[in-house]
Amino acid sequence: MTAETSFDSAQRFILAAKGFWTTQLYTNLREQYGERCAAQGVEPTTVPQVAAVAEDLTVYRYFAWLERHLQIAKYSGRYGLAHYYREHADEVLKDLDGAAGQSSNLELDPALRMPSYYVATDIHQHPGGVWSEPTAGLVYQHGARSTTPLLGASHGDLHARFTDKILEGGRPARVLDLACGFGKSTMPFASKLPEASIRGIDLAAPCLKLAASNATKAGLTNVSFAQRDASNPGFADASFDLVTSTMFLHEIPLKVLDRVLDECFRLLEPGGRMVHLDFWHMPDPFTRFLHYGHGRRNNEPYMQPLAELDLPKTLAAKGFVDIRIEPFSETADVDLAAVKAWRFPWTYISARKPA
Amino acid sequence: MTSDKSDGEQRSEQVFFEDPAVDRLMGVVLALATEHYVLLDRVHVLERRLSAAGLVPDAEAHAAEHADAAALAEALFRPLLGVQQARGAAGRFSLARTARTEENPQ
Repeated sequence: MTAETSFDSAQRFILAAKGFWTTQLYTNLREQYGERCAAQGVEPTTVPQVAAVAEDLTVYRYFAWLERHLQIAKYSGRYGLAHYYREHADEVLKDLDGAAGQSSNLELDPALRMPSYYVATDIHQHPGGVWSEPTAGLVYQHGARSTTPLLGASHGDLHARFTDKILEGGRPARVLDLACGFGKSTMPFASKLPEASIRGIDLAAPCLKLAASNATKAGLTNVSFAQRDASNPGFADASFDLVTSTMFLHEIPLKVLDRVLDECFRLLEPGGRMVHLDFWHMPDPFTRFLHYGHGRRNNEPYMQPLAELDLPKTLAAKGFVDIRIEPFSETADVDLAAVKAWRFPWTYISARKPA
Repeated sequence: MTSDKSDGEQRSEQVFFEDPAVDRLMGVVLALATEHYVLLDRVHVLERRLSAAGLVPDAEAHAAEHADAAALAEALFRPLLGVQQARGAAGRFSLARTARTEENPQ
């Protein structure tokens, strides 16, 4: 019996516990919240009003505690992802560095300075963040498998569905994927648009190495990755006809978002599209309350500022037109109104640079 | 690669309960439960191998590939819901305030 077996077992249990959290604990919380609102004769419309009703519910305390600590258990401690990949670093990095060394699809910049906001918080409760350890990309990739436990094996569908929805509006020839991480969001563009040129950029070298390696292993020759800051990416004006990102906007302060949006506009050719997948559309104040709490609990401090931003007004002020912001289903044939389990408030954010 | 990160900085953990002792004790429970599942899983693997070698009857070997993580999570966390499993008197337990009668035995 090996330590690896124990790691797999522990991770399986932690994921099962998250499944309980996502379904039974969440459902119970919603019921108790509804009952307490009715008993108090209130209909909260703001997050502070929801908090006044919900925060001392015993089940909310457990819900909040487990949300934070199941993630801690996933990443930290003796069965955590960070420890596991450190222990196996020699073996997993040999494979990764070998693949990265042979590929011409990777451009790293050792002199690139990591922004202070980026290093101040270990996002997702990933110890050291997604950038500071050689194994960080592998840890992130492994952790992302169970970000949305109910999606299970179909988690990959999210990115494919997002790509498909973009392609309904036309097939771009030059695509830039901002903050591409280990390339999970980039790869569907490369495979679905074999005739196009796909670029992925990110701050994190360990993630980019993995992205390049994954692309090489998948036989995708039309995609390349570079270590660049999305707020200062350095490409020439009008270099792309699609600039996209997935779960990026909520990870940056608003002042950085402002620069990123300016760069999106500059990098697009006239008539080009900018499409982001993120969390913004939250008409239900209780969903908003949980989302703000998730940001705090999961070390994602810019979730709330993004959710509170007047996004249509912001995009219009930048000069974008055809602005579409709508809920996005992460799986096929899901009736969003009927979903009883917890889910992210996925939002499709699309705009066009005037032709 | 350079950064402004200050290594070794320690921050206190978030607190969700009125008494942080509950937060910390929950951590102990979760760690113990995880260790329990790891051991359970090992036992199931051993049972399967012993069964395959004919050392224990098939009936004692677990049929599933892994110990059932969802069932353990359910059993472990169900008490967090605070829902009765059989109907009876509800709410905070006290004999100090309510005079029970035959008509209102709860």
